[in-house]
Amino acid sequence: MLPLVLVGLIVTAIVGFIIVVLAISWFSNPPFGLGNAPPQPIAFPHTVHAGSVDQGGVGIQCEFCHRNVTKGEAATVPAVENCLFCHKQINAENQAEDTPVNLAEIQRVVDRFNDNNPIDWERVHRLPDHVRFVHEAHIRFLTQGESRTEILPIGDEQPMQLPLTVGESCSVCHGNVAGMTEVQPQAGQSLKMGTCVDCHKTNNAPTDCTICHK
Amino acid sequence: MVTNRIDHKWGMVVDLDKCTGCQACVVACQAENNLPINTKDFFLQKRAYEWIRIERYWEGEYPNVKARFIPVLCQHCENAPCEPVCPVYATYRNDDGLNVQIYNRCVGTRYCINNCPYQVRFFNFWQPNWPERLKNQLNPDVTIRTRGITEKCTFCVQRLRRAELQVERVSGERLNDEKLKAGNYAPACTQACPTNALMFGDQNDAESKIRPYFDDVNTFDIHHEEERTTRGYRLLEEINTRPSIIYLKKVDQYPLNEDEDHV
Repeated sequence: MLPLVLVGLIVTAIVGFIIVVLAISWFSNPPFGLGNAPPQPIAFPHTVHAGSVDQGGVGIQCEFCHRNVTKGEAATVPAVENCLFCHKQINAENQAEDTPVNLAEIQRVVDRFNDNNPIDWERVHRLPDHVRFVHEAHIRFLTQGESRTEILPIGDEQPMQLPLTVGESCSVCHGNVAGMTEVQPQAGQSLKMGTCVDCHKTNNAPTDCTICHK
Repeated sequence: MVTNRIDHKWGMVVDLDKCTGCQACVVACQAENNLPINTKDFFLQKRAYEWIRIERYWEGEYPNVKARFIPVLCQHCENAPCEPVCPVYATYRNDDGLNVQIYNRCVGTRYCINNCPYQVRFFNFWQPNWPERLKNQLNPDVTIRTRGITEKCTFCVQRLRRAELQVERVSGERLNDEKLKAGNYAPACTQACPTNALMFGDQNDAESKIRPYFDDVNTFDIHHEEERTTRGYRLLEEINTRPSIIYLKKVDQYPLNEDEDHV
């Protein structure tokens, strides 16, 4: 027969263990697990590439590099060849040392191309494996149709004037990527299933499970 | 909720006269749906994953033998025995006429597997594992099922979703399912079949090539089977699961005769 204090301790330990397990599994889920930018193999500043010309960028459209975003499910990261469209010219061989570009980082891209070595970018926006998000359909919803004002349950939930351009529709969920040196998820962006289903219901989108889980 | 969708009821007709038992459908399914590689151990334990399998039957005595093949996949029943037993509603019949399995909702009770009369549901007893060189051939549109959940044929629902997107992209407007005809979409097994033994289409589409077979079998049920004008029948018709798959009987020009020496 164990003393009563010991029984209490054991019960407390078991209950505490269960609470810790539940807390870890809850807080490591997407809405909480996001928030910090993972380190990337090559420092790619979206400010320089996608930022507008007034702010010192080049102003490349999102869908120029993320080519599949209007054509299919995944937005896709570009092949190294795409980088070489420009960086064949803009690199250490052709530029002076005092140009404002970071020649050392660019040289790493050129090296990757010459070595046939694809860049293993770290994924920033994660969904669980059993969810398939289709970029194409959502971009079509935001960029097409007649002029209308809608409150979407994403971002800051402000009334939004639709239709948008493709670039603007990316920012609805991903935030102002053109202003980010390191890409990180938009703060407060919920990736819970309820958010998806709410929006699908209000906008007459299909709510069958196999639309996303397949 | 207002919807611009028209209910589909996808179905398949399997012509056993054309089936040669080549197993191309099995391989196509394996590749399309990220099925784990079946080893000898899996088969010996009767735990192999085959969403579509070729059942082989021998007819006659040696040397007068004939092999008969029946491809068996999930029958996508209207009265599916697997559905009411699921305690978490992980399997249900959706508006496309498919019995779908929602993997993230499944808790692995295996009631559905035990209640399925066709034995086409499979339980993941292990975490699926592929050799390193095969990891890049996995289909990115299909979930990799983890250990402890049930999986089954989905009629390649990922291809259906892709076909819907394609229709939307070409027409440039919200999906109107009238445009989505059977020609846009076929499961991997149907596409791979070299003899066109598997035919796929929409049962609700009057022009679909599978429609006459379904009309015939639906008109004359199991009690009036001899009045059917086609060769169609359903598997285990007497238990009234009303499958979406119809089999066409093999017509044997040279039936086995025990007396003759038929070679």
